[in-house]
Amino acid sequence: MTAATPEITRFGGLHRAPGRRRRNLASLAFLAPAAIWLLVVVVYPCFATIRYSFYDESASRFVGLANYKAVFSTDAILVAFRNNIIWVLVFPFLVTVIGLMLAVLSERIRWGTAFKTIIVMPVVFSATASALVWRTIFDLNPHVGVVNALEQTASDFVRPPGPYPVDANLGQSLAGLASTGVRPDGHGSLVSISTVNAGHTVELGLIGVSPQTLALLGARTARAPTAAPGVIDGLVWRDFSPSHPGARGRVYPDEDGLADLQVSLLRTGGSAVATTTTRPDGQFKFANIGPGSFRVQIDAQNFTSSFGGTFWLGSSSVTPTSGLSQTAQALLSVPLIDIAMIVAYLWMWAGFAMVIIAAGLSSLNREVLEAARIDGASEWQVLKRVTTPMLAPVLAVVFVTMVINVLKVFDIILNMAPGSSQAAASTLAFSMYTHGFEGGIHSGLASAIAVILFASVVPAMAWNLKRIRGQM
Amino acid sequence: MSFSVLLRRWERRSVKLAAAVGGVVALSAVIALADSSATKAATKHIGGSVTVWAEWTGPEQQSFEAAITPFETQTGIKVNYAGKPSGTMDSATETAVKGGKPPDVAILPDPGTLRILAADHALTPVGPIIGKESKNYAASWNTLASVKGKQYGVWFKAANKNTIWYNPAEFAAAGITSLPTTWTGLLADATTIKAAGIAPFSLCTDVGWPVADLWQNLYLKSAGPTDYDKLAAHQIPWTSPTVTTAFNLLADLVGTPSDLLGGTSGALSSTYPGCVDKVFPAPGSLPQAAMVIEADFVVNEINSNSSNYTPGLKGTGGATCTADASKTPCYDFFAFPYPSASDSTYASALQGAGDVATLTKSTPQSRAFIKYLASPEGGAIWAHLGGFTSPNKGVPLSAYPDPVTRADAKELVDAKGFVFSLDDLQGSWEPDLWADMLSVVKTPTAANIAAVEQTMQAQATAAGIK
Repeated sequence: MTAATPEITRFGGLHRAPGRRRRNLASLAFLAPAAIWLLVVVVYPCFATIRYSFYDESASRFVGLANYKAVFSTDAILVAFRNNIIWVLVFPFLVTVIGLMLAVLSERIRWGTAFKTIIVMPVVFSATASALVWRTIFDLNPHVGVVNALEQTASDFVRPPGPYPVDANLGQSLAGLASTGVRPDGHGSLVSISTVNAGHTVELGLIGVSPQTLALLGARTARAPTAAPGVIDGLVWRDFSPSHPGARGRVYPDEDGLADLQVSLLRTGGSAVATTTTRPDGQFKFANIGPGSFRVQIDAQNFTSSFGGTFWLGSSSVTPTSGLSQTAQALLSVPLIDIAMIVAYLWMWAGFAMVIIAAGLSSLNREVLEAARIDGASEWQVLKRVTTPMLAPVLAVVFVTMVINVLKVFDIILNMAPGSSQAAASTLAFSMYTHGFEGGIHSGLASAIAVILFASVVPAMAWNLKRIRGQM
Repeated sequence: MSFSVLLRRWERRSVKLAAAVGGVVALSAVIALADSSATKAATKHIGGSVTVWAEWTGPEQQSFEAAITPFETQTGIKVNYAGKPSGTMDSATETAVKGGKPPDVAILPDPGTLRILAADHALTPVGPIIGKESKNYAASWNTLASVKGKQYGVWFKAANKNTIWYNPAEFAAAGITSLPTTWTGLLADATTIKAAGIAPFSLCTDVGWPVADLWQNLYLKSAGPTDYDKLAAHQIPWTSPTVTTAFNLLADLVGTPSDLLGGTSGALSSTYPGCVDKVFPAPGSLPQAAMVIEADFVVNEINSNSSNYTPGLKGTGGATCTADASKTPCYDFFAFPYPSASDSTYASALQGAGDVATLTKSTPQSRAFIKYLASPEGGAIWAHLGGFTSPNKGVPLSAYPDPVTRADAKELVDAKGFVFSLDDLQGSWEPDLWADMLSVVKTPTAANIAAVEQTMQAQATAAGIK
């Protein structure tokens, strides 16, 4: 922009001296390759795209505004609009604030340059590599994804998992575990169906327990309990025999006892009288109990599930969407994958914001800051009332640049969102790509999306250009 | 393609190279065998050269080149083979044809492009050229390569999607001794496997194509090949009862999250081929699930993930798989079940995919080459090298290296009613179709199935058929 001299911008004007015309011709000759290049790869494709946006999917029939109507009436594309809006509302603001914080803080520490280098590093990483790294960080499996590993550690600390976890997220239920003589009590425990008196035995069968769990707990072959006077003898065993896969209720020789289960003896009223733990062969014993009827309870803590992981890369919404129409859901849901991607993108771009803001910061008039401090302003007040307003032009440039950046956001969706959530994570740029280049080629629709995307970037772009001009 | 897939492929290249070297040693013996066999196709010396394009690169390219070596020696024709990257063959061929510089023979990965090119008169009919070699194929294969009654292609390599792969050790641990033949039987077995504390299914539904393959099997087995082809051609609406039936069968499975490894969200974040590794893990890890539902290319993944596995097949003289997977880890498959004992009409219909050789330029050399591909000779060589099943009935089952591949190939040539993977015939609609299928995995309710069917019908109408 700055290089535009009057001679060049006004070539072909009237009242020109011959020498001047020659100079114009020379300038033209030098400009021509670049101008032709721009015409071929920028101007022509722009107009071709606008033209295609009025044609059908194979660009052969004029369809008027049909593609634009389709853009605004297709739920899948409305999702892309919604995501673009989420990105624009959340990301530029956050990245500017974080960039400002980092810039101010990096001036205060001794190893400021090293710190800045580390923060800036993600800017030079390939966006694809960054997206893949973050896809791993947010992986559902706590053994893979560090975010879920942290969540699991915290959750297991608060609620230690039991030896026989039942995880509702995996579709498991206590009812699915109960096989012989027990049923769920509705409060997370299993309780014997029939009552038992001293001098009798009780056998409780569970299914769905993996042989690996039993091996880990050192379980042994189950043995049926024998009755003894004054004592309740019992057995909890794996009611599944590979040699009799359909048979339930009988203790076969290839069935193991459930070791390490905490069982309680309940009065018929429900209060616990005694508590014990099963032996490796699944047997337990309640001695010294009085007369009366009891029930045996397999306590809830045995079944506490370990934290299974948050599906950060999934499409489930953080805003309630039940009962909404498809279109309303498309417009109002905020999928978890959006949050995960925005976090990753912040990591990728915070360094860039910091560098620009730090450059602005270093050119600030320090005397003003000093004056504020001498007047007794706290550091927070200095940042809020002095530094930030003085940096406003730089912050605005960062903000607007990031608005443009996230309007076009694309690569992170392709590489970070698993296939099953790409539809929920889609943005306009991504939607343009899938419609234009992936299997389903609809050049008209893709072009219409491109035109809309272009139109939405233009105001931000114009503002940025105006600023740059104004600074010169 | 995900990063992990890329990474693993890269790791495997070394393994595959080693295998390829071994293959070349074995090859000379095989070629000698093929030379002496009675199935010789072309013996006349012609000379000159033929340009051939296909999607086989790496080890597959080496196997293909081995398979055509007898052709080169018999005819003196030099084959200039160019392996195109996966997924680019259709567009590369179309572009080359439009640009006026097609290869002599293009081996296409689906019949869609064959139809487009044939309609543009860019292909030479192969019927008169291959003559009686066409009897090597079941009628449905030849029909699939035909446009308006004229055959334009020869199927050389096929994939069998009529398979469910299971870990015999896990089945033994669950006490399952006879393999399920019906969908209801399979789900009952799943309940048994669950009672044994093992997750029945490892789904690969991070993306849509595996669930499309699964659904297409269900549709084929419940509605039959005729309706299947009509649905593929949009002659039956996606709101018809046959479609609902197939979706309900799918919902019987995905609507029981405890049948799926990791529940619904586990299934939706499980990638291919990771889902295979969870059933057939490398040494040191335990299997997490008993079955994986995908086509016969699962075998490639089992073998590249771990070289420990033995193809075991009950009753066909394969290795004996024991309950202790650490001693003899095995893999095996059973045919995709038909809906129920009372609904077994389409039990032997089979969904598959394949590569079809077309004559994009007719020269004496390219005609000889097509005839050679239609003969069983080349297929037998590749079959012996492994990773290959042929739709050609002339390829002897004894050519296959192990009982599992043999049974796989037998299913393929014996199929009554072969259909091509429906999603691959939908052109521009395919990605949306996959998304719709995934929606049913996420929410397998009757209401959502009805809504998805409406959506699919609207999309199918809008997309038309190319």
